[in-house]
Parts: sequence; structure tokens; C-alpha cells
Amino acid sequence: MSDLIQLFVNGLALGSVYALAAIGFVIVYSATGVVNFASGQFVMFGTFAGVSMLLDAGLPWAVGYLAVFVVMAVFGAGFFACLYLPLRKSPVATMIIGTVAIGILMQNVALLAFGSWPFRLPSPLDGLSVHMFGAVISAHALMVVAVTALLVGLLWFLLHRTPVGIGMRAVAQDMRAARLMGLEVNRLLALSWILAALLAGLAGLLLGPMWFADVNMGDPIALKAFAASIIGGFGSLPGAIAGGIFVGLTEVLGASYISSAYKDLIAFGIMILFLLVRPQGLFGERIQDRG
Amino acid sequence: MKLLQACGVTKVYGGLQALTDVDLTVMPGESVAVIGPNGAGKSTFLNVLTGLTPPTTGRVLFDGTDVTKLATHKRVRLGIGRTFQHGRLFSRMSVLENVMTAAETCRRGGDGAPRETAMRVLERMGLAAQAAEAVGSLSYGQRRMVEMCRVLAGKPRVLLLDEPAAGLNSGEVEQLVERLAALREEHSVAVVLIEHNMGMVMRFAERILVLNFGSTIAEGTPEEIQSDPAVLTAYLGEGYSHADL
Repeated sequence: MSDLIQLFVNGLALGSVYALAAIGFVIVYSATGVVNFASGQFVMFGTFAGVSMLLDAGLPWAVGYLAVFVVMAVFGAGFFACLYLPLRKSPVATMIIGTVAIGILMQNVALLAFGSWPFRLPSPLDGLSVHMFGAVISAHALMVVAVTALLVGLLWFLLHRTPVGIGMRAVAQDMRAARLMGLEVNRLLALSWILAALLAGLAGLLLGPMWFADVNMGDPIALKAFAASIIGGFGSLPGAIAGGIFVGLTEVLGASYISSAYKDLIAFGIMILFLLVRPQGLFGERIQDRG
Repeated sequence: MKLLQACGVTKVYGGLQALTDVDLTVMPGESVAVIGPNGAGKSTFLNVLTGLTPPTTGRVLFDGTDVTKLATHKRVRLGIGRTFQHGRLFSRMSVLENVMTAAETCRRGGDGAPRETAMRVLERMGLAAQAAEAVGSLSYGQRRMVEMCRVLAGKPRVLLLDEPAAGLNSGEVEQLVERLAALREEHSVAVVLIEHNMGMVMRFAERILVLNFGSTIAEGTPEEIQSDPAVLTAYLGEGYSHADL
């Protein structure tokens, strides 16, 4: 029983990170229609920005984290300006290949800069643990879950209660109509990219202490976030959260109760099952035309 | 003082001449209808006025300023409002949220919070009870009305309406005409209307612009237009002298 609780919390923590990555992925997809194949590298970038700020520069926690978010926001804005804006009128495939190209570039720049040895990104709660129902749970895992829950709440508030968020949703649904409501579409699209990059950065900072910071970590995360979006319902925010947590739990519980060699097979097998039986996912909506 | 002015607007798509040298002047509080057969360039013309489509040549002036190069959202904030032929509401948002989008961006000094502005517009148009509902659950007529609320929340000085009566029953058309008339009277909002419902056009418009194949073939009062030979030819073919359009 104590094992199960421990695994459950670890799965929840890993799932929260997948959920953050998937939310960033979904925000960009629903606002701009771009399937961002570099989204895993965004998370890797967040982790390595953390390595630079906390390990290399030795900044204190608060300053280091803040610096990572500033870097991620600038990166998101840059991605919007250098990739999305020039390619926005090109065919979808061109845009997708553009994101793939940037992803490969990022991975290799990271390899040049940091080498192939993995790092261990520290957590402010390193070494602390909580005893719960006879299980020993790392404080970092609990923090990951709490931070993600808080962030999801904030994100909901942003999208449903603030004019900027309502504007972002309007842009995601119909850009022309949004322009005619006086909305500055480009500014709101840039915000979507910035928000996605910030979420990825946070995911990277939270994931770093759980995994090793490895320049090849982006691809598995992207695949998991993608699986999470499919299981939850492509384009749906609650779906991204539920899907992310589902994939995280499946991975951790599957690895320990079924087979650690097949943990990915289980997660992706379920994704394929969803594609076959319920392609709209858990929270899927009817496909709508975008204007 | 001229409110909205289009001077020699021409739009070419590849080899297709969608608009050729179209002029239009709208005074504050005036109501103008743009009519013409399908494909005459009416919607393209509205797109040029709002900046969704840049003209190949020609200029658009609003309140004496050249806005030809101004981005759509800035024109909207100046006071050019537009609705679409096929309602384009934000279908995954509530009625109130739809109306709030414009209320926020077009906020001017002295306006209340966007939520209150949006509620006021909904009340005036008789939709306050549906404020929290999802747009998808409304009837077609109500949805068109939400679109109208949404554009009104931006406090337009000129309203460009693309077939506002399409799909409405006669009672709803009646309501729409009354509300538009009230807007013109109370706030001297000018209305430019594309419409195929000739009953509504003849009753509502003070002036009519007739387009055919992207060119102006006639402009005048409803009476003049009904007996204009070029209009009759375009609509009915050769050989008619008067038609009850």
C-alpha cells in the first residue's frame, strides 16, 4: 500500500510536468493552428536555462528561476517573430517543418554548449521528504503537483476572467472576427507563444530534478505531451491536463507493476487505442472550422 | 462633415477585377444600401472599408483622415464596425464574453468596465437573460442579434452590415429595422448595408449604391433606383421599364 501511494504521487508529479508541456502545446495549437514539433525542446531549453542560471551562474533560487522565466518569455517572443510571423501564410506543412528544424537546431546547440553528459538540476526542496500513510514521498514531487495545480487555476482565471485571456480565446476561434472586435491579433498570438514557452520553462525546471538534464530529453517529453493531448482531446485544455496526468500515472505505475521496459509501450498503446476508438479524446469537441 | 469616404477603390485578384473605381460617401446618421447580384463585389467592398482586404488602388477616409493603410483593429477602435454575412460569433464563448471582446478594446475615457458595457448593450437589445448562455445554444435569430450587440459594444460611428436580415423571419427583420433606426436617431450612427431583402432595403435606405461586376452602375434614392434602366438590365435582363424590386 505504501508503495502504491509513493508511486501514485510520483506518477502525479511526472504527469503534472507532461500536463504543463501539453498545455503549452495546446495553447499554441488552438491560437495559431501550429502543431509545434519543437515543444519538447522548449522543455529541454527550460531545464538547461535552469542549469545555466542555478549551477553555472550560481544564482540564488528566486533570482535564478526568475531569470529562466525571462529567458523563456524572450525565447517565446523570438520564436513567434522569427518562425511564426514569416511563415504564417505558408502551407501548414512548411510551418511544421519549420518547428522541426528549430527543434533540431536547439538540440544540437545544447549539445555543443553543454556536451552529452547529463546534469542534475537541483531543486529547492532537495533532500526533504514527507511521510504520508507509511510512504516516503519526496517534497519536490509534492511541490510539482501543487505548483501545477496553482498554475492551472491561474491559467483558467487568465483565459476566462481577464480581457486579455478572453481576447486570446477569441483570436483562437476566429482571427478575422477578432480583428473586427478591435483586438490586436498579432500581439495576442505573440502572447500565446510566450505563454507556451513559459509553461515549457516551468515544466523544464520541475522536471530537471526528477530526471537528469540531458540534451536528448526533449523528444520523449514531446511524444508524451502529444500522447497526452490525444488522450485528453486535441486542442482541449482540460484534456491536456487529464491526459498528461493519465500518461504520467500510466508510465510510473506500469513501469513498476507490469514492466519497466514496456512503460512507453503502455502509454502509447493507450494513445493508439484512443485514436481507434475515441479519436476526439476524453474532452474532445466537435471539430470546428477555423475562420 | 463626411464620416466615411471611399475614393476610386479598385481591387484586383490576379486577373479578376473584383472592384473597379468604386466611390462612396457616407454622412453621419445616414443609411446607405449596397446592392447588386451575387459576386458583384459587395462583400469585398466592405472588406476594403474595414481593412481586411487592402485595395489595389484607391483610398478610404474616415472622419477626414486617410485610413487606407491603417490596420483593421485600429479602424475598429476609431469607430468602424462590421458584421459578417455568415455570423462569425466566437462559438465556444458565452454571449457576454462575445460582447465583452469589443467592449474592452473599444473602451474610451469615461466608459465603465467592459462587463458592464456589454451587459448594457445586451439589455438594450433584449438579450440580457441569455448573457451567460453558450452562443451555440441560441436560435439563429438570437445569434444574429448577439453579433449586432457585439459590434455595438465597440461604439461604432458607422456600422457596416453584411446581409443582416438573411435567415431572419419577417418579425425579426422588423425588429432589426426598428433598432437600427433608433441607433441612427439617438447616436447618429451611420449604416451601410448589404442586403438582398429588397423590402428592407427600400424601406430603410436613404440612398442606394448598385454594383455589378465590381463597378457602380447606379446610385440614388430608392425611387430612382427602382426605375433605373441599368439596374433593371442587371437584375432582370433587357426590356423592362419598371420593376417592383
